[in-house]
Amino acid sequence: MKPAPFEYHRPGTTDEAVTLLAEHGWEAKLLAGGQSLIPAMNFRLAQPGVLIDLNNVEELAYIRDGDVGLHIGAMTRQRSAERSELVAARAPLVHEALPFVAHPQIRSRGTIGGSIAHADPASELPAVTLALEARFRLRSPRGARSVSADEFFTGLFGTALESDELLAEIEIPPPADGAGWGFAEISRRHGDYGLAGLAAAVQLDGDGKCSKARLALLSVGDGPVLATSAAETLLGAEPSEEAIRAAANAAAHRDIDPPSDIHASAAYRRRLVEVLTRRVLPRAFDRARGVDLKPITHEA
Amino acid sequence: MTIDGEYTFRAPRETVWELLQDPDVLVKALPGAKKLERIGEDRFDGIMRVGVGPVTAAEWSVNVQLKDLVPPESYAMQMEGKSPLGFTRGTGTVTLVAEDEATTRMHYHGDVQLGGKIAGVGQRLLDQVAKLLARQGLEALNREVEARLAR
Amino acid sequence: MNRSYVGQSVPRNEDRRLLTGQALFVDDVQLEGMLHVAFLRSDHAHALIRGVDVSAALARPGVAAVYTAEDLGDYWRPGPLLVPPPPVEGLTFNEATQVPLAKEKVFHVGEPIALVVAESRYVAEDALADILVDFEPLGAVVDPEAALAPDAPILHTQFGTNLAAHVVQGHGDYEQAKAEADLVISRRFLYDRGAACALENRAVAARWDPKAEELTVWDTTQAPIPIRNGLARMLGLLESQVHVVAPFVGGGFGPKIMMFYPEEVLIPWVAMKLGQPVKWTEDRQENFYATTQERGQVHDAEIAVTQDGRILGVRDFFLHDTGAYDSYGLTVPINSQCTLLGPYSVPSYHSEFKAVFTNKITVTPVRGAGRQHGVFVMERLLDLAARALGMDPAEIRRRNYLGNEAFPYNHQIIFQDFSPLFYDSGDYLPALETALETIGYDSFREEQRRMREAGRHIGVGVVSYIEGTGIGPYEGARVTIDPSGRVRVATGLGTQGQGHYTAFAQVVAEVLDVDVEQVHVTTGDTREFGWGTGTFASRGAVVAGSACHAAAQAVREKILAMAGRVLEAVEEQIELSDGHVRVRGAPERSLSLGELARMANPLRGAVKPGTEPGLEATAYFGPDRGSTASGVHAMIVEVDPETAMVEIKRYVVVHDCGRLINPMIVEGQVQGGVAQGIGNAFYEKLIFDDSGQLLNASFMDYLLPTALDVPRVEMAHRETPAPMNPLGLKGVGEAGCIPTGAAFAQAVEDALPEYGLEILEIPLSPNRLFSLLEDAHDH
Ligand SMILES: Cc1cc2nc3c(=O)[nH]c(=O)nc-3n(C[C@H](O)[C@H](O)[C@H](O)COP(=O)(O)OP(=O)(O)OC[C@H]3O[C@@H](n4cnc5c(N)ncnc54)[C@H](O)[C@@H]3O)c2cc1C
Repeated sequence: MKPAPFEYHRPGTTDEAVTLLAEHGWEAKLLAGGQSLIPAMNFRLAQPGVLIDLNNVEELAYIRDGDVGLHIGAMTRQRSAERSELVAARAPLVHEALPFVAHPQIRSRGTIGGSIAHADPASELPAVTLALEARFRLRSPRGARSVSADEFFTGLFGTALESDELLAEIEIPPPADGAGWGFAEISRRHGDYGLAGLAAAVQLDGDGKCSKARLALLSVGDGPVLATSAAETLLGAEPSEEAIRAAANAAAHRDIDPPSDIHASAAYRRRLVEVLTRRVLPRAFDRARGVDLKPITHEA
Repeated sequence: MTIDGEYTFRAPRETVWELLQDPDVLVKALPGAKKLERIGEDRFDGIMRVGVGPVTAAEWSVNVQLKDLVPPESYAMQMEGKSPLGFTRGTGTVTLVAEDEATTRMHYHGDVQLGGKIAGVGQRLLDQVAKLLARQGLEALNREVEARLAR
Repeated sequence: MNRSYVGQSVPRNEDRRLLTGQALFVDDVQLEGMLHVAFLRSDHAHALIRGVDVSAALARPGVAAVYTAEDLGDYWRPGPLLVPPPPVEGLTFNEATQVPLAKEKVFHVGEPIALVVAESRYVAEDALADILVDFEPLGAVVDPEAALAPDAPILHTQFGTNLAAHVVQGHGDYEQAKAEADLVISRRFLYDRGAACALENRAVAARWDPKAEELTVWDTTQAPIPIRNGLARMLGLLESQVHVVAPFVGGGFGPKIMMFYPEEVLIPWVAMKLGQPVKWTEDRQENFYATTQERGQVHDAEIAVTQDGRILGVRDFFLHDTGAYDSYGLTVPINSQCTLLGPYSVPSYHSEFKAVFTNKITVTPVRGAGRQHGVFVMERLLDLAARALGMDPAEIRRRNYLGNEAFPYNHQIIFQDFSPLFYDSGDYLPALETALETIGYDSFREEQRRMREAGRHIGVGVVSYIEGTGIGPYEGARVTIDPSGRVRVATGLGTQGQGHYTAFAQVVAEVLDVDVEQVHVTTGDTREFGWGTGTFASRGAVVAGSACHAAAQAVREKILAMAGRVLEAVEEQIELSDGHVRVRGAPERSLSLGELARMANPLRGAVKPGTEPGLEATAYFGPDRGSTASGVHAMIVEVDPETAMVEIKRYVVVHDCGRLINPMIVEGQVQGGVAQGIGNAFYEKLIFDDSGQLLNASFMDYLLPTALDVPRVEMAHRETPAPMNPLGLKGVGEAGCIPTGAAFAQAVEDALPEYGLEILEIPLSPNRLFSLLEDAHDH
């Protein structure tokens, strides 16, 4: 379990990093927290010829509040974001989901940007950012562009990143009036990738009717999956128990085509999605009504 | 692992058939194919470098043998691949149905076995990877088909 | 004796070194000019090798050598049979042992085919990709039942069958018992494979010193002395020319006593061949393919009971998956066969097993070593019988325990140590009552009802087990008073975290009345002590501990005799305490043990005929048979029937390992064992596909429970002294993991009575529990 030989660079700025990236193209890999890349290299599943280490690029690690929402630099450690009061206040769904990402030791190294760029279908942050309609700022020597989460995730480990592009920043819109949220997942052990998980962002209008519902599921497709027909059953209706039951059914049976693997059959995953939806949505709508509750714990 | 699916090409069945037998076309269509040459009447040797997310490393040397050819309707194939990460072996069948003069529906079925290290670390994603590669391959093939027809 | 150490939770002597990173592990061995080895392992489970081309690897810069089976010449030989079959009448045993490198055929994924020696492990691994092997794949045998099908591919063609062994044992007349029974329950039980997953993987380093003509081998083995002896034999050296060191080892759990692993045979050979030191450290991925595993068995078992729940007899037929080779003989299935009987009176028993070869990694003992299978089958049968009789599960156990008057009890079958299965002693009922009290069994039903009303499902499980421990043949120890006044103890065992440096020190300190910290223990160094077998079968404390005790007694006698001479007093007047000898009533006539030791090794004068220099003694202990530890485990679980997730809320162990040397160490053993048992019950399973490929060969997919998934075990000790050794010790090494699966199954069923579940398999993943619940729902 030793990696194949590679060339190593440690730039100090984003500009230097993208210049190197442009020079080496797909041969190069950016190294962020290394919590996904290094194991893949040690298994020799990944053999990048060039490694561009971002750990010296301090300008990519920050959490700032702004007009359009919260700005999180890609190299922000997951653990820093988890402990940030700003994140807790301005992006409470991110705050709620982060403890489900691996273990504290791994979150101390793993970065927000690395998790999103890696786009593992079982990862929490891609689902969360998709539910929150986050935007991603991508940088290359050609300039910068901003891409919505809907466009960014393109399938299995697939993203909109070009070979010379780096994910620089995650931008999360602030919670609107009447917004509610909830996150839960079922995993084998504490800290494992979930067998299934749900990040929900909802909104109630003045009449208590659901005006928005973005339910992003993890581990049930080739990337984060938006449960759109489940959302449709909720829109315009009061989120009654029956409505939530219908949404849970739609999520489990219409919105996904989950894989079967050694840990969970497709049928089991559908069941988990159904249960998670039934358990997460009441909490999300309670929050939308201003009734806050403790986050759903691992015992979900 | 079993892969099953269908794909519709907007092209006559003969055109699709021809392309499916042409290594120069397949090398462009198969995900990660770097080289593909005909080494016998229905045998091909090639090199593929499959890239899915973090898995970018392995170069696979592959050997494909076509069998039971019924032009332009169907054929079977036997495939073997080797890399430092392990091996893969599989059999498959491809059936082409002419929906109409200009539309061909392809049915494909494959049984693929994976062995060695790759079998031991890839299970969580195997299903998804197979689906992805099949889709990528077919979409690329479709682009070739369309390019051919546009000429 | 003024001070008592045996029975005290003294802090461990070894922990300072371990916790400050000062302990030597094999991978820490760095020698000038050292080369590194990587193995090319088979990708196929069953295949012919048509050719191996290593030319490209040899040409790679930094590569020193590449070897295949051909290059080994006469050194290529199948390994020894570690444990011959026991003397059971009518037994069949087909012997097939592992080879250093596969020559014509591979029998499991991961079997080594070639090895690369290079300037670094990195280069060695790069070169593996250069080697081309031409395989001709063969059909694989994976399922143990399919192994005996008439059309199954045959692994070892010389036998014409995949049958590795067939053994029938029993006593009494089961058919008669069945005829008389009020109730007969028969079921099929499955117990699947897991890995031991020691924290430290295996490693071997070797150096040949041509001037001293001496081979030094550092090895993570549990049995350094047999490794030395075997290497000397294979390499044509004297045992004195081979020095084996098993330094600190990060966990053994059984697989580190498989002798000989190919790597253990090859690394010393390479060091001699190249004249350079060589090291190989197994990585975690290799560990899944190259280190032996355990646990695959299929039981068809039946119990016959009376209306009031008394056992009349048990019949069991089982298949034992031995993997590609059966080098460790029949220890595991014999343990299953014997341990099934548990703490119960079983008037008639018929047990028959077939061991079968499969294209999977070789099976050798892993902590528990087959015992958990027997316990699972018996405890489940009792649960099912209790359910059918409308009896409380605790009650049916109560009614069947052997009474204290029964000991020593002879089950009239042969145990793994080749002697009849004798229980030396035991006191079962009080352990059950303590466990029930501790877990609050009586009030639990009320609690369960209350939780039920709140929509929550909790359940309790209570099971019993016995553990045959402390078997022979022998261990030895040497105790020496160092001129510094400290005490040196050396034994031949290997140590893998059991606290030997403390437990043995306690035994010796108590006899010699010195501080425990003043006793320096050495294990696992063949130069320090050259006789012994190894650390296995929960025998270290019992057998080596008793040897330490005997050697310390002998030294004590020497001390008293010499002190009598030197201090001019009769022996009976000499007092030994606090590291000094004194004449009773004349405290000024006193000497420290160090002074006495120096006098015992004079430079002038004469050592009297019939005496020996030094204050030193060596003693051996070889029990005729083992001692029987026992216990009760109880657990409370909460099950979420919607998600099929199970949480273990409480775990109680009442354990009886005879007299305790160090309760803290015993508790650590039990807690660790329970963690492994929980892994076995709910998380860990090696998954092989139909072609023999291992599908979860990493900690990403092979789920070891972590500290977060294992509750803190509540423990109570009972001490029924073993009559077979002077200290009354019984082993504890495996106790924690033996009955966990059975307790888990009972508790999960208890939490969901409306489903009428029968959990007949271990491990039980949530995915599997989900489908069992679905099936129950459909019916
Ligand atoms: C035991 C364990 C358990 C885990 N469990 C979970 C879990 O439950 N949930 C979960 O989500 N994750 C889990 N992870 C993964 C972990 O969260 C990783 O930290 C994360 O997936 C990747 O972040 P990283 O900073 O470590 O990125 P790296 O591993 O350094 O990089 C990952 C990939 O992203 C690319 N990349 C990194 N940064 C950028 C950037 N700024 N721009 C463009 N590309 C970039 C890299 O080139 C690489 O391809 C686990 C990891 C381990 C070891």
